[in-house]
Amino acid sequence: MPFSDVEATRQTLEAAGYACSPEIATVVFLAAVAGKPVLVEGPAGVGKTELAKAVARGLGRELIRLQCYEGLDETKALYEWEYAKQLLYTQIAREKISDAVSGAASLGEAMERIAAEEDAFFSERFLLARPLLKAIRSPAPVVLLIDEVDKSDPEFEAFLLEVLSDFQVTIPELGTRKALHVPFVVLTSNNYRDMSDALKRRCLHLYIDYPDAETERGIVCRRIPGLSRRLAEQLVAAMGRIRALDLKKTPSISETLDWAQALLSLQVDSLSREVVLSTLNVICKYRQDAQRVRQEVERVVKFP
Amino acid sequence: MDVMIHRFAAAARAAGLRIATSEVLDALALLPRVDILDEAQFAALLRANFAKSRLERARFEHLYHLFFHELREDLHASSAPVAPHVEDFRRELISLEPPSEALSAIADFLAADPAAYLELLNSLQSEGRGAAGGPRGAGANLGGLVRRLPVLRALQRAREALDGFLAANRSRIHWETRRDLERHLAGRLETARRLLAGEDPLRRLTPTPLPAVTETYGELGRTPFANLSPGERVRLREAMAQLVRRLRDQTGLRTKARSRGLPDLKRTLRGAVRTQGIPLELRFRRRPPRKGRIVVLCDVSGSVWSTARFMLVMLYALQDCFDRVRSFVFVDAPHEVTRHFDDHEADRALTEVLHDPAVPYGAPTDYGRTLRLFRHRHLDTVTKKTTVIVIGDGRSNYGNPEEAILGEIRDRARRLIWLNPEPEAFWNSGDSEMRSYAVLCNEVRVCQNLNQLADIVRNLVL
Repeated sequence: MPFSDVEATRQTLEAAGYACSPEIATVVFLAAVAGKPVLVEGPAGVGKTELAKAVARGLGRELIRLQCYEGLDETKALYEWEYAKQLLYTQIAREKISDAVSGAASLGEAMERIAAEEDAFFSERFLLARPLLKAIRSPAPVVLLIDEVDKSDPEFEAFLLEVLSDFQVTIPELGTRKALHVPFVVLTSNNYRDMSDALKRRCLHLYIDYPDAETERGIVCRRIPGLSRRLAEQLVAAMGRIRALDLKKTPSISETLDWAQALLSLQVDSLSREVVLSTLNVICKYRQDAQRVRQEVERVVKFP
Repeated sequence: MDVMIHRFAAAARAAGLRIATSEVLDALALLPRVDILDEAQFAALLRANFAKSRLERARFEHLYHLFFHELREDLHASSAPVAPHVEDFRRELISLEPPSEALSAIADFLAADPAAYLELLNSLQSEGRGAAGGPRGAGANLGGLVRRLPVLRALQRAREALDGFLAANRSRIHWETRRDLERHLAGRLETARRLLAGEDPLRRLTPTPLPAVTETYGELGRTPFANLSPGERVRLREAMAQLVRRLRDQTGLRTKARSRGLPDLKRTLRGAVRTQGIPLELRFRRRPPRKGRIVVLCDVSGSVWSTARFMLVMLYALQDCFDRVRSFVFVDAPHEVTRHFDDHEADRALTEVLHDPAVPYGAPTDYGRTLRLFRHRHLDTVTKKTTVIVIGDGRSNYGNPEEAILGEIRDRARRLIWLNPEPEAFWNSGDSEMRSYAVLCNEVRVCQNLNQLADIVRNLVL
C-alpha cells in the first residue's frame, strides 16, 4: 500500500522523484485517506505541479490535467456534445429514420416514434469528455490536477464546488454521473487572487515555500544525477544569494534545476564568475534581473 | 484529544480565524490516521484543515504555539497536585466583586481555556466598528490604550487575588505545591499580559517583496511627482498622453483579434437548421476579453495628492479599457467623486474635486474611519470582479488602522493593490501603518514617479 501512513507516503513520493518535507507528506497522506482535494499554494516554480505528477507516478495512476485561464468554461472543462458528429450520423442514417416513421398514422405518432429513439442521439457516443468528466468517468482511479485555479473566473470556481464536493456531474440529457473512484485532486494557485471560502473549506490547504539549502541540494542531486556534490553545493548557495537580491522574478527550484542541467551540459566543475555570467539567461528571465545579478556577481560566487 | 481540538477551534475562532464546523469535523475524522505523538504530523493536520491562506497561517502558527506549548507545557511539569487549586482559584476570581467580563475571561485563561480572553483581545482590535463616527479629536489617538486599560486593570487584580489566595491557603496547601502553583499561574498571567501588549503575529509576517520596475523613461521618469518643475510637468503630460495612446492601441488590437476568434461550431450548426443543415452563415466565438472593474480609494492629503492626481488622470484616460472606474477621495471619510470625472475632462474634474466643499481638506487624515465608513456605505461597489486600488501613505495620525476591514475588502475583491507615494525606507516610521496594511494587500508598490506609474498602469491594463 503506497499511502498507508505518513512515512510510507514520504517514501513513495521520494521514489517518484519528489523530495518532500514531513508536512507535505502528511497533507498528501491525509488527502488520500479522506478523499479530499488539496489546494497547494506558493510562489511560482517551487514544485506545486510537480507534486501532483509525483503523486500520480507514485500511485501508478493516470494524471489528468486541467489548465485554468480566464474565460475557461464548462464546455472546455467538463463536456461538450459533438454536434458535427451527431449531424453526420443523422445524415447517414436518414433512411433508417424514414423507416422508423414510415407507416405512422399521423405526425404525432411519427414524433412519438422518433422520441423513442432519442437516446440514440444523446448517448455517450456523442459526448466529448473534457478533463473533469474524464476524471470522473475513468474506470481506474486517477489523479486530477487543476492547475492555476486562481486564474479562472469566479463563475468557474463556483462550478468547481459541485464537482469537488460530491464528485458527480449532472448532464441534463443523460442524468447524473457519479465518480466510480474518487480521484485524487490537486489544485494549485499562485495567489494571484484569493479563492473563495467555500472552495477553501472543501480542500486541505498546503503552502509550499522556497526550500532550505539542504532540501534544495537533495532535489538537485536527485534530479540531475551527474552533478558533482561540490558543484551542487555551490549552486545552491549561489542561488540562495541570488534570491536575496531584489529581483523582478525570483528564481525558484525549477530554475535551479535548469541551471544545474546547463552546467552539466557545459561540463563545468566549479562555479566561477565567468560561468555565472555566461549562463545567466537560464536563471534570470528579465533583462534588469540579469543586470542586477551581473553587478553582484562577485558576491554571488564567493565561496569559502 | 477531541475535546482539545474543539477547544483549540473555539480559541482560534475567538482570535478571528474563520473555521467552519465541517473543517473541525474533517480534522477530527482524520485525527486517528496520524501519529499524534509526532508533532510535525499533528501540526500539519491542523494547519491543513484550519489555516487556508498565507495570512491565516501566520495567525495559526501563533495560536498553535500559544495553545499547545505555552498553555500546556507548565501543566505537564507541575502535574496533578496543582490542578485542583487552579480550579479553586478560577472560581475565586470569578466570584470576585465587582464582577467584570475581563476578569472572568482571565480566569478561564488561567485554567487553560483561552477562548474568552482571545475574543476579548480580538474585539479590542476591531472596536469602534459599530460606532461609526465615534469620538474624534485629541483623545482618539489614545484609543488603543484606553480600550486596553480595563483589561490591564483586570490583570492587575488577578495578580493581587493570586497573592491573596496563596496567603489565605498557606496552611492548607503544601509549600511545594504552593510554589508550583504560583510559578504556574504567574507564568500564565505573564503570557496574558504579553498577548495584550499586542504582539500581533501579522506584524511579523514579511509582506511580499515589491516588484522591480521597468525603467521606460529616463531622467523624467525618475523624478518624484512632487519635485517636478513646470517645464517637466508639460513633458510629463506628453509622455503620459503617449503612454495612454499606446496602451489603448494595444488593448484595442486585442479586443479586435478576440472578437474575430475561432469559429463556433455549435452555433453555426444550430443556425444551419434553418437552411436544412447547410451552414450558410459562419458564427464565431465572440468573447470580449474581461475588462476589470476598478475602485480607487485616494488619500487627498498634501503629499499624496501630487501622485494621486496623476494616477486618476491616467485611469480616466484609459477608462474604455476598464469596465467601470469608480473613484473615492478621502481625508477622514470616503467621498465619491466618480461623477466629476464622468461629466468633465480629467483636468476640470480634478479642480472640481479640489474645491468640493464636501471634502474636509483641513481635517487630519484618518484611515481607520475612512475604511469603516467605506465598508458601511460603499462596500457593494466591491465584487469579485473589482480591483481595488488604494493610493495613500498609510499615515493615520496614530488612529486605529482598522486593518481588519481592509482584509474584508480584499476578501470581497479580485485584487487589492496599495500604491504608496513614499519611498519604501520611510514606511513603518512614525504614524505610518504600512506594516499592518501591506501584508493584507495582493500587491504593494511605491508610486512616486512616472516610471513606477507607467509600470503599474501597464500591468493593470494588459
